[in-house]
Amino acid sequence: MAVCVAVIAKENYPLYIRSIPTENQLKFHYTVHTSLDVVDEKISAMGKALVDQRELYLGLLYPTEDYKVYGYVTNSKVKFVMVVDSSNTALRDNEIRSMFRKLHNSYTDVMCNPFYNPGDPIQSRAFDNTVTSMMVAAC
Amino acid sequence: MSRQTNRGTESKKMNSELFNLTYGSLVAQLCKDYENDEDVNKQLEKMGYNIGVRLIEDFLARSNVGRCHDFRETADVIAKVAFKMYLGITPTITNWSPAGDEFSLILENNPLVDFVELPDNHSNLIYSNMLCGVLRGALEMVQMAVDVKFAQDTLKGDSVTEIRMKFIRRIEDNLPAGEE
Repeated sequence: MAVCVAVIAKENYPLYIRSIPTENQLKFHYTVHTSLDVVDEKISAMGKALVDQRELYLGLLYPTEDYKVYGYVTNSKVKFVMVVDSSNTALRDNEIRSMFRKLHNSYTDVMCNPFYNPGDPIQSRAFDNTVTSMMVAAC
Repeated sequence: MSRQTNRGTESKKMNSELFNLTYGSLVAQLCKDYENDEDVNKQLEKMGYNIGVRLIEDFLARSNVGRCHDFRETADVIAKVAFKMYLGITPTITNWSPAGDEFSLILENNPLVDFVELPDNHSNLIYSNMLCGVLRGALEMVQMAVDVKFAQDTLKGDSVTEIRMKFIRRIEDNLPAGEE
């Protein structure tokens, strides 16, 4: 399903980024990095009107030749970016949405770990497993 | 905080996340304040002890349990009444020693550790060690010296949490032990 999953802090530095090992990692880092501009654009475009609706899912950020990039932003402005293989056409918007929700729940658990300092890179086995399950489901 | 006036046997609901985060931040702060995990464990045990010696009064007042005649009865009360009242769980009692002076409390899920993952540099930390202190303190106030320690911990990869309790002796004189 997903080929790369990234969590980006409010100040736009990466908290977590993992991609499938068979591909060039740097390429995905680059893809995620470029997507941040689109995320910012979407957030400011939504403006105040949509803030009340609490729609966290940003939808498709942009498609490339091989991949589709989806975004999600929490109320605390932490961004989740997911890169998906575009050959996988069976993937519906709803599934992406539920994957993000799963990711968000897992992220919340990480935040609640008393040994995790907010702002640090995420090093958690539980979170790793969640991400792995999302990547394996695809491959 | 105002003193509660109606202390019944009914248990009040409490938000488990708040409880978890409160205990978690306490342990995390202790880890910052002390250099090695053994000191943190000792400190948690001591805090638990101080809770236990007070909590037993509350427990006896609210639960209306009578005097226990043997250690097995004590074990039952701890698991079925005390844990139920304060943590909302009922551990199972197993692994009695042949002499009947030692048993294990098995906690299927420990309510203290919902979100916790031990970091690699705290592998010796016994996160829930306060429970041991509480049990030791409480039983000491009812003239029982016990030794309480963790035998298994889900945080360390075991499938269940096991607290091992060993009866040492009856405390004969009723003089209160010195403040620790």
